[in-house]
Amino acid sequence: MMSTNPVLSTSTEPKRPSPDIPSRPSVSDRSRARRGRWLAEVGWKYPVAILIVAYAVFPLLYVLSAALRPGGRLAGSSALFSALDFGNFAALLETPYWRWGFNSLVIAGITSIGTVLMGAAAAYAFSRFRFSGRRASLTGLLLIQMFPQTVAFVAIFLMLLALGDAVPALAINSKIALICVYLGGALGANTFLMYGFFNSIPNELDESAKIDGASHAQIFWRIIMPLVTPVLAVVGLLGFISAFNEFILARIVLVSQGNWTLAVGMYAWVSNELNSNWGLFAAGAVIASIPLLALFLSLQRYIVGGLTAGSVKG
Amino acid sequence: MTVQEDARSRSATRGDGPPERESHARGWRGLGWGFLVKLLLMALVNAIGLSVILGAVRSESWFILGAAIVLLVATDVIYFTKRALPLKYMAPGLIFLLVFQIFSLVYTGYVAFTNYGSGHSGSQAQAVQAALIQAEQRVPDSPSYPLSVVSRGDELGFAIADSDGDVRVGTELEPLSVQPDAEVGGAGAPTEVPGWTVIPRAEVLTDTELQQRVTALRVPVSDDPEEGSIRTRDGTSGAVYLSSLDWDPDTETLTETATGKVYSASDRGSFVAEDGSSLPAGWSVPVGFENFVRAFTDTNYAAPLLQVTVWTFAFAILTTLSSFGLGLLLAIIYNDSRVRGRKLIRTLFILPYAFPVFMSALLWRGMLNPEFGIVNDLLFFGADLNWFQDPTLARFAVLWVNLWLSFPYWFLVCTGALQALPADTLEAAEIDGAGRFRRFRSIMLPLLLVSTAPLAIASFAFSFNNFTLIYLLTGGGPNFAGSTSQLGATDLLINAVYQISGVSGGSSDYGLASALSIIIFIVIGAISAVAFRQTRKLEEMQ
Amino acid sequence: MRKHLGLGALAVTSAMLLVGCSSGGGGGTSAPEASEGGGTGGSGAEIVVWTDAEREQAIADAAVAFEEETGATVTLVAKNFEDLRNDFLAQVPTGEGPDITVGAHDWLGALVTAGVVNTVDLGEKAANFEQVAIDAMTYEGQLYALPYSLEAMALIQNTALVGEEAPATWDEMIQKGLAAGTERPVVLNTGSEVGDAYTMYGLQTSFGAPVFVQDESGSYTSELGMGGPEGEAFAQWLHGNGTAGTGYIPTTVNYDINIELFTSGQTPYTIQGPWAINAFADAGVDVAVNPIPSAGGETAAPFVGVQGFYLSSQSENALLATDFLVNYLATEDAQRALYEADPRIPAYSTLAEEVAEDPIIAGFLASAQNGVPMPSIPEMGSVWEFWNSAQSQILNGADPVSTWNKMVTDVEAEVGA
Repeated sequence: MMSTNPVLSTSTEPKRPSPDIPSRPSVSDRSRARRGRWLAEVGWKYPVAILIVAYAVFPLLYVLSAALRPGGRLAGSSALFSALDFGNFAALLETPYWRWGFNSLVIAGITSIGTVLMGAAAAYAFSRFRFSGRRASLTGLLLIQMFPQTVAFVAIFLMLLALGDAVPALAINSKIALICVYLGGALGANTFLMYGFFNSIPNELDESAKIDGASHAQIFWRIIMPLVTPVLAVVGLLGFISAFNEFILARIVLVSQGNWTLAVGMYAWVSNELNSNWGLFAAGAVIASIPLLALFLSLQRYIVGGLTAGSVKG
Repeated sequence: MTVQEDARSRSATRGDGPPERESHARGWRGLGWGFLVKLLLMALVNAIGLSVILGAVRSESWFILGAAIVLLVATDVIYFTKRALPLKYMAPGLIFLLVFQIFSLVYTGYVAFTNYGSGHSGSQAQAVQAALIQAEQRVPDSPSYPLSVVSRGDELGFAIADSDGDVRVGTELEPLSVQPDAEVGGAGAPTEVPGWTVIPRAEVLTDTELQQRVTALRVPVSDDPEEGSIRTRDGTSGAVYLSSLDWDPDTETLTETATGKVYSASDRGSFVAEDGSSLPAGWSVPVGFENFVRAFTDTNYAAPLLQVTVWTFAFAILTTLSSFGLGLLLAIIYNDSRVRGRKLIRTLFILPYAFPVFMSALLWRGMLNPEFGIVNDLLFFGADLNWFQDPTLARFAVLWVNLWLSFPYWFLVCTGALQALPADTLEAAEIDGAGRFRRFRSIMLPLLLVSTAPLAIASFAFSFNNFTLIYLLTGGGPNFAGSTSQLGATDLLINAVYQISGVSGGSSDYGLASALSIIIFIVIGAISAVAFRQTRKLEEMQ
Repeated sequence: MRKHLGLGALAVTSAMLLVGCSSGGGGGTSAPEASEGGGTGGSGAEIVVWTDAEREQAIADAAVAFEEETGATVTLVAKNFEDLRNDFLAQVPTGEGPDITVGAHDWLGALVTAGVVNTVDLGEKAANFEQVAIDAMTYEGQLYALPYSLEAMALIQNTALVGEEAPATWDEMIQKGLAAGTERPVVLNTGSEVGDAYTMYGLQTSFGAPVFVQDESGSYTSELGMGGPEGEAFAQWLHGNGTAGTGYIPTTVNYDINIELFTSGQTPYTIQGPWAINAFADAGVDVAVNPIPSAGGETAAPFVGVQGFYLSSQSENALLATDFLVNYLATEDAQRALYEADPRIPAYSTLAEEVAEDPIIAGFLASAQNGVPMPSIPEMGSVWEFWNSAQSQILNGADPVSTWNKMVTDVEAEVGA
């Protein structure tokens, strides 16, 4: 069948992602541009950025302020940074915070990798193969995500209870069980994001590779995956953050304190209004945001660096 | 674009077609290890699958056994035959989806047809046990006796030292009688009883099986059942207890010993007497469509629920549009290599996303406090805006906070999606001299929507069910004035479910909650399915 | 064939691999456990105790002696106090629940209805505990928990601002508060807009409007006591102190703001429970604790809350768990450790007398002696919702009488249902 395709057989070289020359005005172009034009096209973006950063960051200054105040409270005083005391950070050492942090990193890390792999594989199937029930499965995937989870915790608890009898690794209080529960949602919205992205990769690339004798697995791993790095990075980041901050399911699955994640443990510090320790919590939250931001910074290269790598010509 | 679509559909037919010719052409050799990896992985999967199967057999979990066998066979078929190529790619995710998500969906569906909830949470046996526990009372002002657990062969008994210094021994069938030659130890409990073996306390306490027999053992004080029987609560002391209820397993009835009043098991999962009174603890039974009927016919909730539904839609739509819009706008604006410090700007933009939602909701709750919060102080110059008492303000506050919470997500997604746009198409448009806005509207946006529209639908659905935000930020308030319900102006349907089913108050009706969840699911599912069809058209337009 | 290299296989197995690794590990540890069950006695028995973080250490200390003497193991599971009730209700029927849990007495009705709690027989030891604590843990004539602490709200005043002397009435307190020259004469929790009927209850009862009518033995009947002229008078009073009147009780104050205002000296008076004392001490504020002043002429009777240990009805080691409760936790030493972990009023009488030498505890004790146990009927959960909301609306200027009476009708419908 494919050999009868004249358009595709014209290309014999397997197309590899080639770093295109950025299609933007070069530095020298810009320097020649009039200052007014710079303002109209670029300059205004800075004040806007400041405005948005203020919106995004200002509330979080409260968290930082509370972290630096002994006995800090989140609300109650509008005086920011009335004290600079690192006692709350020091106090974290006496709590299982670091252990929870380790649990969180492991759980979120594995969940994120699993989500990327499974989601990418499914997106590849949806994007490249035509099979009966494809549309229905896509719709089904979307719909399943919409089930309200308010009462689902009963079901998840009972299921892990039953599973734990047969598979000790999947019992209540097992981190693996929690990862598996999270991976149950791997084919959710993320698959759609990747699906859309995969569709934008021209099919001619697969076709020519196929003609050259590449198998579908080789096409997937060696042609498609490198081209979709930006979306893989985005999905990985989203998966990591959502697993890192999830606490409703984690609270049910992870019973013993040593197995808690950061979100569960820190929620415990503030869930009881009367015993809440916002200072400790805020200090913990500030530190916990660091790995997420570091991850984002390191992935940014792939997410936006793809500007050139992703723009493959068809 | 249409060329691509054509190519894609051609490849589709090929996927199911005959296997490709084995032409190991240039550049595609050297992956032979792949097959080895596959074999290895499949061996591992089979090993794990088998261990699950063995575990299921050992623990006699037949349902899990069946599921494990089906899944394992399916996996092997998928990966060792050439059929079902797409499944090779979807199976891993699907298996997790099936096991961990579909199950909870199906289970919730099952619960919706029962009266599972407070007072109906366990089995009938547990309800009987609870009734007997609650009915069995220590005889008022009766003393505690030092007690030892004794055995004679398989038979268990109690030996007590009574106040006269006599040791009395009895079993379930033999009432207490004095044992003349027994000895009493330092703690006052019998240590040696002729004809009986005294079981040491440590043994009683650490052998779970023995413990359960001891817990269940009642030794009658005399032949007259009215005088009660000895029972021990801790294995070292005994006291006389009387039960006011008798359980008859044959007729499934509990009878009050004093009055003869009979409570029989009703099909509603309670023990009910003829005069209509019932015992507190019941068990869970199927009730058919009753929960659904109640959901539709409870007039108390009809009017407020309508308002809640309207607001839920408004919230889900507005919040998706606003955060998508802002995120997309920012993504486009800062997807510009001429802007310096983009890395920092982008990182600061996603900061709100790096903190747990429950913290952010509580944080904003404090900031929106009309008297002490910073928002009124700073942004509204000390105006007395009561964000949580005025329905309009409260709704606006919810939207505002959710925009803050979710625009980073869209910023991230759109930044990623922008990279997928074919640069040459955009370039070509630029060369054609298309205006910036036109370029955005007629080229960029449609392309972006192809990949992000399904996400927008998912986000809509997520917002529709965003219980945590509302619960922590406004608690659903302000309450609707003058209605007999605890629902409020910012309650979403899912929060309403939580309120109505009483999960919040501790007397919960999970059956009703599940039924309502399913109704919501059907509503939102139907809407989303229709919306999704539209995105398909969008895709085909390309 | 080799073309069909499974990437999918990789994905499935990379996940399964994890399962495999740990199931190897998990299997390793679980196998001995399984054989233990079949073995002879020994040290196989285990009891699981759910606790909140505050009490964890004190219980662990009591468990040491117990473990040594019986050879059993006590496993402590720390949970959020908030979660304990719902988790206990949900998990006990599955057989996965704990043997013992920490809990509050007002859960009792729900726990009994669900059939998840066992009775506790303290025998002669019951006399060692404050009667009000035992009564609170008693439901339909049966004792269901070992109490360890009780608490009631009381009037707390900043002695640097208004001295040691306690005001007898609300009006006197307001006068003194105004004379102190602080920003506000008093600060009360109103749950920032949600309403806080719990804090207000002492003031409400001083109008003679209890939530439920008590019979002569002191147990609650399901007859509502909030209606009628007494309740309306309280509603009028609330209205007069809300935004429509003096504004002394704004609806914006929650627990945190309350603490902040009091510790920063912006108000001399507040009504708080013993849990807030540490925050005041940390801030270096000298306080005096006294019974709540009367606003309506009668004695202010705040709610008394009692905490204790519940025993699961599904415990497989009921003897062991009871032994731990009755013979190890119901001792003065263990009760002292619990008190030191979280300084509420001890339920253990000799201990209560001992710590009552501390004037702060004595103040809370005096307030508690005026108080009444919080109702523990299962319907109470839904009563709060209506009650809080009505108070919040009235404070914000809603018509007091009609709003209050509407609330009374709604609650009656809910309780009667």
